[in-house]
Amino acid sequence: MIFQMKKIIYLLIFSFSFSFAKESPTKPVQIQIWHQMIYSHREVLARAITTFENSNPGVKIRATYRETEELRSAFQSAAMGGSGPHLIYGPSDQVGPFAAMGLISPLENELPTEFWNQFDSLAVPVYQDHRYIVGDTVGNHLMLIYNRKIVKNPPATIAELIAQAKQYTIDSDKDSKINQWGLVFNFTEPFFFVPWINAFGEGFLKNQIEPNLNTTATQAAFTFIQDLKIKHKVIPPECDYEMANSLFKEGRAAFIINGDWSWGDYKEAKIDFGIAPLPQNEVTKLWPAPLVGTKGYSLNANITDSEEKKITLKVLQFLTSEQVQTLFLAEVGTLPSNLNLRSQAGVKNNAQLTASAQVMLYGQAMPMVPEVRAVWDSLRKHYQAVLGGQELPVTASEAAQLDAIKQISNMNNVTQPGLQAKLISGLLIVILILLSFFLLRRFPEFIRALRAQPLYWAMLLPSLLIIFLIVVYPFFYNILISISNFGLRTFKDWQIIGLQNYVEVFSDFQFYSVLLKTIIWTVTNVATHVAIGLALAIFIDQLLPFKGLWRVLLIIPWAIPQYITALTWRGLFNQEYGPINHFLQTWFQLPAVQWLSQPFTTFFACFITNVWLGFPFMMVVALGGLQSIPQSLYEAAKIDGANEWQRFKLITWPLLLPVMIPAALLGFIWTFNNLNVVWLVSNSGEPADQTHILVSYVYKSAFNLYRYGYAAALSLIIFILLMAYGFWFVHKKSLKEKTSI
Amino acid sequence: MKKIFALVVIILFSVFSIYPVLYVLTVSLRTDQAFQANQLNFFGDNTGFQNFTRLITETDFLIWFRNSVLVSGTSTILGVTMAATAAYALSRYSFKAKRWILFSLLTTQMFPATMLMLPFFIILAKLQLINSFMGLFIIYASTALPFCIWQMKAYYDTLPIDLEEAALLDGCSKWQVFYKIILPISSPALVITGLFSFMAAWSEYMIAAIVLQDPALYTLPLGLKSFQASLATQWGLYAAAALIVSIPVVLLFFMLSRYLISGLTVGSVKG
Repeated sequence: MIFQMKKIIYLLIFSFSFSFAKESPTKPVQIQIWHQMIYSHREVLARAITTFENSNPGVKIRATYRETEELRSAFQSAAMGGSGPHLIYGPSDQVGPFAAMGLISPLENELPTEFWNQFDSLAVPVYQDHRYIVGDTVGNHLMLIYNRKIVKNPPATIAELIAQAKQYTIDSDKDSKINQWGLVFNFTEPFFFVPWINAFGEGFLKNQIEPNLNTTATQAAFTFIQDLKIKHKVIPPECDYEMANSLFKEGRAAFIINGDWSWGDYKEAKIDFGIAPLPQNEVTKLWPAPLVGTKGYSLNANITDSEEKKITLKVLQFLTSEQVQTLFLAEVGTLPSNLNLRSQAGVKNNAQLTASAQVMLYGQAMPMVPEVRAVWDSLRKHYQAVLGGQELPVTASEAAQLDAIKQISNMNNVTQPGLQAKLISGLLIVILILLSFFLLRRFPEFIRALRAQPLYWAMLLPSLLIIFLIVVYPFFYNILISISNFGLRTFKDWQIIGLQNYVEVFSDFQFYSVLLKTIIWTVTNVATHVAIGLALAIFIDQLLPFKGLWRVLLIIPWAIPQYITALTWRGLFNQEYGPINHFLQTWFQLPAVQWLSQPFTTFFACFITNVWLGFPFMMVVALGGLQSIPQSLYEAAKIDGANEWQRFKLITWPLLLPVMIPAALLGFIWTFNNLNVVWLVSNSGEPADQTHILVSYVYKSAFNLYRYGYAAALSLIIFILLMAYGFWFVHKKSLKEKTSI
Repeated sequence: MKKIFALVVIILFSVFSIYPVLYVLTVSLRTDQAFQANQLNFFGDNTGFQNFTRLITETDFLIWFRNSVLVSGTSTILGVTMAATAAYALSRYSFKAKRWILFSLLTTQMFPATMLMLPFFIILAKLQLINSFMGLFIIYASTALPFCIWQMKAYYDTLPIDLEEAALLDGCSKWQVFYKIILPISSPALVITGLFSFMAAWSEYMIAAIVLQDPALYTLPLGLKSFQASLATQWGLYAAAALIVSIPVVLLFFMLSRYLISGLTVGSVKG
């Protein structure tokens, strides 16, 4: 029944859709590949593709780059819509989720045994008895990279690492700003943290699948990183990936912990670097275990046509062949997955590759199960809380474990439809029938109106129809999802289950705290936008010469795409090198603020960024309003002896209100739903998921944790909240008289 | 005294609004593709215009630029045409569902955009509009429409009705009144509405990313994003491209700032 309902809705929507002419069959076969290869690798791929196309004239290959996370979510949407690329290239940890959703096909029976035998077993991992990926390279693991100009002998133990790092952390001009750091790395990110857990005992996962975070090893590793930051002071207190990389490239860091992908970057920056394993813990005699994975190609499950599949597999075999791997090895120096190639001179005489292969021996296999995402997520949250000093290592490890277990059960739990589902779908059908009945009854009236004013309706209808198609349809689609069990395990066969998702939202304490934050965020932002915009407009309009100049200068923030400015502001707020701290230190002698690692200051940073983005709009609106106020009013007031303040209070303010109020309402809605700023400035809710507003919270649960049903319910709640607010706002009597909404 | 205070405030805010842009400029002049700049450094050892030349010669920047102009231009024309007509009907014609329509236009702005991605994709896939500009035209024009209609209606509302009544008495048809009288005097609002649609389309990324899959069809934001890899971003190229992307919009603002003030009257005064 539910399926039928979906169908009916589709039919309703698409009954007026139009179809395009099909492509003619004589066109060459086109194979699409989506990949996430970094810049330099893409050029090599393009060459390999040209070689293939030249020897297979009937086949065209189109390679499309997507950033890793992007690739994941885009592939999910595309595969769900029944299309998507033939092959998808990415790290092995995406295999688990894709396989669980049924988006990629098992390959073991599609390709001969000889084919499989040529690879390092790490490159062709088995996931739940199937092989879903063929890797062309192995590694992707972290190692200690050192600047040979500074470091002569890399450390073998953690104690040596700390000693050397202390020695190389130098404040050469004694201004209490460090000029050269001993060690830099993206330490707030769990991927860079988990290797250390193994050096203090057991690893972070049990049996490759269960979280194993509540251990003394985790606690010791927490303390170790915290000590690097606070006790030994050898790592920058705020250090994200970009900053670590910049410092190392400028030769201002002795050691960096980074992966094999970064080598090309350092070569280009002309850094003479060496490679060593992450050093051993001299007490436990254990080594840190970086995650070792593969990157490779998987086959889209939507490719079912046998001819198409045959060609796709041919392309896959070619791209993972010895020939292509040789090319990659020569051009960008990746460690090949082909065993034969591994034993040849190209690899054996390459000092970096041998060193890197050495490091790999200490590694642990990158887990592929989808549950790992939940482990990363809860670890990130509590680990960052430890670093920020809000939690103790002991409590944090326990909390991280509990959170991980809870999230995994959320992810895997599939609610089966029961009585409630039947009731709800019945109710929906009744509503639909009533609605259509109501519309049908109004139809004659509509026809009459149409006859009476054909021109007006002709002007209005195209817009209404297209808005209906593009905006209203997705809205109803969301209502359906919000009452369904759509998630990781039910990606292709979701069913309507009832109101569980809503119950879950409302019974989660975090929802209320995020809602409160969102309201505070929105109100302070809009108030600041309006106040600044208004003040600037009045200054420009009434007091200053060169009006045009100021106007253009102050409008600039509005004109620049948001995703660019959000990232820029993140850089400006950097603790060590951001100009904002530099300014505070030199002009006000204040200590450097760690903007982006405390919840409140991060929120403040987002706030400043958003003020920067938002005030020009209000300013322009206010300028427009000011122009419509007749000058004669002011003159009359002057004659009557009104002072500056009185003139503002009695003339400017009341006459501007009708213009400012709708603008403020729009501003309120936009700010409430502004994902870009919060997501990009706080690096997706960091630290410790404490800087979310509702939309970023939705985004996270949908795309990071695969909880589509929950996310849809949450976004409907957001919508209803805003609508209620808008309704109340528009119907306030006092406003109704003043404005035309 | 007052003037000096105002001047100081304005100068401070101008610095506030320009500084981040200068920061992007320094990143674009660096040759090591790093993002963190120690201070604003325009003439260091490793600064130069390499990123700009690389951008033009080695990447498909010019193709992306052309695609962006095409997509944004077409969606703007489409959107403004529809908004101008629909808003006029909403302004001059009163009927039962009008209030309801106006309010639902406002509510379309309230839905979190991220949740619309999947349904968008499904619609476009069913209409076979994936990987074509047509899909983008339709989505960009229609997502900008509610705001544009609101904007245009507010402007029409400020125009005195006497004008049209006089023209009708002179024997003009309603369409003529709209086309020959109302439209020309609404140019400030038309320009602003157009600017809004253009800007929205020009910098839109998320929808373009699901619709366009062929690199030859990429628009600027997509091209820019291709310099960004999760752990190996080409920051220099990215910043250089970001600046060039911003220039047309800043220029448009500059040229249209005259209209900007008079055309933007979000829901203005009644009669």
